[in-house]
Amino acid sequence: MRPTRLLVASAALALAVAGAARAQTPAAQVTHGIHAYQNLDYDSAAVLLRAALAAQGATALADSDRVHALVYLAATELYRDHRDTAAVLFGRLLRIDPRYHIDQLVFPPEVSGLFQQVRVITRAVAVVVPADTELGTGHDQLPIRLYAATFHPVDVAVVRQGGARLRAIYQGNVGDSLLVTWDGRATDGSPPDTGRYLLQVDSRASDGHVVRSVAIPLAITRVRRDTLPLPAPPAASLFRPEHRPGSNGVRGAVAGAAGVVAVLALPSLIAGKFRASTDRLLVAAGFGAAGVLGFRAQRGPQPILENIAANRTLRLGWQRQVDSVHAQNVARRQEVRLRIRAGAIQVLGAP
Amino acid sequence: MNGRVLGLLLAGLLRAAPLAAQLPQFLGSVDLGLARQHFASSYPGGAESLTGALMYGQVGIALRPLAVDVSYAQGRLASSSASAAARSVAEASILVSGRVTPWLLLKAGPHLRAYSAPGSTERWVTWEAHAHADEEVIAGVLAASLEGWVAVIANANVDPGGSGARGAEAGVTMRIPGSALWARLAYAVDQASLKSGARTEALQSVLVSVGVGGR
Repeated sequence: MRPTRLLVASAALALAVAGAARAQTPAAQVTHGIHAYQNLDYDSAAVLLRAALAAQGATALADSDRVHALVYLAATELYRDHRDTAAVLFGRLLRIDPRYHIDQLVFPPEVSGLFQQVRVITRAVAVVVPADTELGTGHDQLPIRLYAATFHPVDVAVVRQGGARLRAIYQGNVGDSLLVTWDGRATDGSPPDTGRYLLQVDSRASDGHVVRSVAIPLAITRVRRDTLPLPAPPAASLFRPEHRPGSNGVRGAVAGAAGVVAVLALPSLIAGKFRASTDRLLVAAGFGAAGVLGFRAQRGPQPILENIAANRTLRLGWQRQVDSVHAQNVARRQEVRLRIRAGAIQVLGAP
Repeated sequence: MNGRVLGLLLAGLLRAAPLAAQLPQFLGSVDLGLARQHFASSYPGGAESLTGALMYGQVGIALRPLAVDVSYAQGRLASSSASAAARSVAEASILVSGRVTPWLLLKAGPHLRAYSAPGSTERWVTWEAHAHADEEVIAGVLAASLEGWVAVIANANVDPGGSGARGAEAGVTMRIPGSALWARLAYAVDQASLKSGARTEALQSVLVSVGVGGR
């Protein structure tokens, strides 16, 4: 009769606790479960903590609370002589948070010892990337930090939504932590199109098969830089007058006439005893024509050469600025910048 | 007389330095031309006359505030009658120039000329001082120039040696507006004399040249 009574009493207690637990929020269940654990009421603690962990939907525990509940539930199960269950719970905890370290001031050595044993065989990584990153065409890199529960090989890659690999980033071992980077380019060096991608990290077993995969959604957008405005042309006030009013033209005519006289007179002035060459008359005619042209030209507006040169320098300087800005704008239009927004980490396959 | 000319020329070139610093830096130039020449000489008891054509080239190098013009010409002179022997003529000069005023350029340097006939070569080496004035007839398009020179030192390899030389040149230069290309038409005449009136020579040239660069 006694065992029967004892069984009935335990069942009644469990039902009573379970009933009370159902009436609480998951967070309160965790708090009461931990309190029960601390009072060595392991059965009640197990019921309350399992109830909290079982909550789904809007009332489900956040990962930090889930980890908190799991470590106490694992310790509870260990003290209930359910060592295998405790090990499974620690494994589940480490898959949620591979960086988790058990507090040895709170949990006795047998609990932390089991946790460390499980940690050594749990191949899981946590992945951290910046929530919002913009990569240029230079040496910009997206930092990807991996935190591993234990030393093991991983594959890091960016994959398309359909699963096709865009770029393999890293294949190798990870110890406690590892920083890898991605330059925002596909395997062929081209920037990816705007779209949704996954940063996938596969943890591998010693035989090479994938034991766990996590992924971070990456929303990638091609960003075009704004073009620069063209510089305004120089103000009209900066330009110098390029012409002055014409003269009476006498100076040009005199210059031509003086040339004619010189050409005709030079032979007798320099070599008077010799007969002058008639070929020089061609040059005299050239001077005469120059005089006529000069007379006519000087009556019209006269170009001010230094002002024309100064204005040309001013225009060229402005044109050089325009060309420079134009070249920068061409480069800006051709430059592809990527904006990468990272989502929350997801566990693919086995949790 | 010659020493005075040399002194004036040196003073002018020294004055050219500060003035050139205020002017736009002029570039070097290259020009090529063709000259038709009339050579005439007289000596006691005779005279000769030859005509011919020369190819002419000049390179100007800007070394602010001065500039250096290096020229070379070569051709052949022949007589229409049999009274004078045909001969080759070659000449070269190196003239250093500096602008003293916006319209006046002074030049100085050696000038070599050689007449080569079968069996003899007559060589002249003169150190010349030039004054070159120019005036723009149409701004940036057409310019007229007049240049005169005297030989400060005149040496000839024929007896009784060189006595002196002088010359002048007048020309018009037409430039394509906004371009570095130009063309020039010029007339030059010079006379050289041997000592004691032993011989006097005159060379007249009509030169047509095209060039590029500052001038």
